[in-house]
Amino acid sequence: MKKLIVGLLLTLVSIGGCGENASPDNSANNNGSDQKPKVALIMKSLANEFFSTMANGAEQHQSENAAQYDLIVNGIKDERDLSRQVALVEEMVSAGVQAIVIAPADSKALVPALRRASEAGIIVVNIDNRLDRNILAQENLTIPFVGPDNKAGAQKVGKALAEKLKKGDGVLILEGIRTSFNAQQRREGFQQAMDQAGITIIDSQSADWEMSTANTIAAAMLSEHPDAKAILAANDSMALGALSAAKSAGREKDLLIVGFDNISAIQQALNDGRVLATADQHGDQLAVFGIEAALKLIADPESTAEDVETPVDLITAESLPQ
Amino acid sequence: MKRKTFLSGLLEYGGLVLVLVLLVSVFSLATDHFLQWQRLQIIANQMPVPIMVAVGMTFVLIIGGIDLSVGSLVALSSAMFGLVITNWGGNVWMAVPLCILVGTLCGLINGTISVAFRIPAFIVTLGMLELARGATKVATDSRSIYLGKTVEGLDAPLPWLGLSPAILLALATVIIGQLVLTRTVFGRYCIAIGTNEETVRMSGVSTKPYRIAVFAGSGFLCALAGWAYVAKHQTVDPNAATGIELAAIAACVIGGTSLMGGRGNVVCTFIGVVIISVLQSGLAQMGVPDAGKQMITGLVIIVAALIDVIRIRLTGGKTQ
Repeated sequence: MKKLIVGLLLTLVSIGGCGENASPDNSANNNGSDQKPKVALIMKSLANEFFSTMANGAEQHQSENAAQYDLIVNGIKDERDLSRQVALVEEMVSAGVQAIVIAPADSKALVPALRRASEAGIIVVNIDNRLDRNILAQENLTIPFVGPDNKAGAQKVGKALAEKLKKGDGVLILEGIRTSFNAQQRREGFQQAMDQAGITIIDSQSADWEMSTANTIAAAMLSEHPDAKAILAANDSMALGALSAAKSAGREKDLLIVGFDNISAIQQALNDGRVLATADQHGDQLAVFGIEAALKLIADPESTAEDVETPVDLITAESLPQ
Repeated sequence: MKRKTFLSGLLEYGGLVLVLVLLVSVFSLATDHFLQWQRLQIIANQMPVPIMVAVGMTFVLIIGGIDLSVGSLVALSSAMFGLVITNWGGNVWMAVPLCILVGTLCGLINGTISVAFRIPAFIVTLGMLELARGATKVATDSRSIYLGKTVEGLDAPLPWLGLSPAILLALATVIIGQLVLTRTVFGRYCIAIGTNEETVRMSGVSTKPYRIAVFAGSGFLCALAGWAYVAKHQTVDPNAATGIELAAIAACVIGGTSLMGGRGNVVCTFIGVVIISVLQSGLAQMGVPDAGKQMITGLVIIVAALIDVIRIRLTGGKTQ
C-alpha cells in the first residue's frame, strides 16, 4: 500500500515537473542555496531484488538525512527498457533536480541523455553499471563512477571455488546478459580465477540473469558435460536455477555452485551447504555512496569528480551470521 | 473404419511429430548425451509450467480470446503459495488451495470484466498482466524467497518412473483438456463460440458463462503452473514466467490453433510445447551462441506453423 502511494506521488511529481519546465520556478530550483537540493535516483528494474535493495537503502539514508536533501526514486519495469530510462532522465531534468544518480540500463545508449542533463547544469553520478569510457571521452564528458569492481568480486568468488577443486578439473559458467558491462566483468573475473588455478572452463552460456532460463541451460550443460565439477553463476538467481538443475541431474551432493549478489534467498542455500559462495557488493549502500558523491559535488562545485570504488566481499556459509 | 481413424490421426499429428523427430535426431547427432533416458526425463520435468499455461491458452484462443496475463498469474499464485509458508507459517496443503484460489479468481475477473463490459480480452488481460505482476512485487517485496525442501513434493521425481508428479499433472491437464474439448458439450460450444458467436446466441444459448469459464480455467491452470514453479525452484521468484504468454501462444499456433478462434487441439498444443522445450534444451546442450539460439527458435516456430498449414491443405481443410 505504501508503495502504491509513493508511486502515485512520484507520478504527480513528474507530471508537476513537466509543467514547471517553462515556468520561472526552474531558476529558483537551480540556485539551490536557500533550499535543500533535490537528488533523483534512476534505477534499473525495481523488480530485481538487487535494485530494490539499493533503492531501499537510499530511501533510508534520505530519511535519516532529511534536512540535507530530497530524493526522488524511479525505476524501469524491464531491465532492457532503455527508452523508458532515457525518458526518466529527461523528466528528472525538467523536474528541476540538482543531481541525477543513475544505474544505467545500458553503458552506451544512456550517454547522450546524460550529456544533455549535464549541459543543463545537473550533476550526474554513475553507479552500478559503468558508462563506456570511450564514448564518455568522445562526448567530452566527465561523469564519476561510484561502484564496485565486479571483476575483482568475481575473482574472489572464483578463487574460493578453486580452493575446493583440483588442477585440471572442468567447470561451467552461467553468464548474465552479454551486452551488459557487469556480465562481461563477472565473466572475466571468473575466467581469470579459473585460469590462475589451472581449471578448465568447459562451457559458458548466457542465461539472461533469470532463474528458469538458468535451470534449462544448466541442465543441458550438465548432461552434455557430466564430468563438470562446478557451476559459476554470474548472479544468485541463476545460481538457484543451477541448483534445481543439479538436483534433477542427481548431482546435488557433489556439484559445487557459486553465485554473485548475496540475495536473501541464497543465504539459506549457503547455510544448507547447497551453494558454496557468493559475493556481496553491499547493494543497500551502493546508491548511498552515489548520493553522497553527488551531494559533495553540489556543495563544492569546484571539486573534481572522482571515481569511487566500493567494497565487494566474499560470502560463504562461515561468513554468514548464524 | 479403424484404419481410417489411424490415418486421420497420422495426418493430424504427423507434421508436428515429424518436426519433433527431426529435432531430436539433429540434437542426438550433434551432442554426446542427448538421446538418453535420464536426459529426456530431465527435459520432461522442465516442462510442466509451459504445458499447463498453454493448455489454458488453447481454450482461450479457441473461443477467439487471448490471455496476456498468464505469466503474471503464475507469479502471483506462486507468491501466494510462498506467503502462506513463510509469513503465515502454513504448510504445503494450506498453500496449494490458496495458490489455486488466487489464480482462478484472477482468471474469473479477466473473463467477467471482458464479457460483462464487452471489453476486448486483449486489453483486460494486458491490464491484469501489469496488475498481477505489480501485486506479486508487493507480496514478495520484489525479493526472491527461499522456501526449501518442504515444498519440493510436486517436483521430486517418482523413483520408479524418473518423472515428477508435476509433469504427470501437466499430462493429466492435456488429456482432460482434450476430452473436454472433443467429448463434451462445453468443448463443442467453445469451438462454436470461436467460429461464430452470433449463431450460437441466436440458437438460444447464452455464451457468456462459457467465455467466463474459459478465462477462469486459464487462471486455474496458471495457478497449478505456479505451484509447479515453486516446487521446481523451491523459491518464490517475483520475475517468474515473465514473457511466457508469447511462448504459450507460439506453442498453440505451432499446434494449429487459430488466433481467430474456432479451431484448436490440446494434444497438438502439447506437442508444440514439447517442440519449443526440446529446442531450448538441445540448443543449450550444443552450446549454440545466444544470437543463434534466438534465430533458430524463430525459424522453427515459422517452419512448424508452415508444416501445419500444409497438413490442413492436404486434409482438405478438416481441422478438428
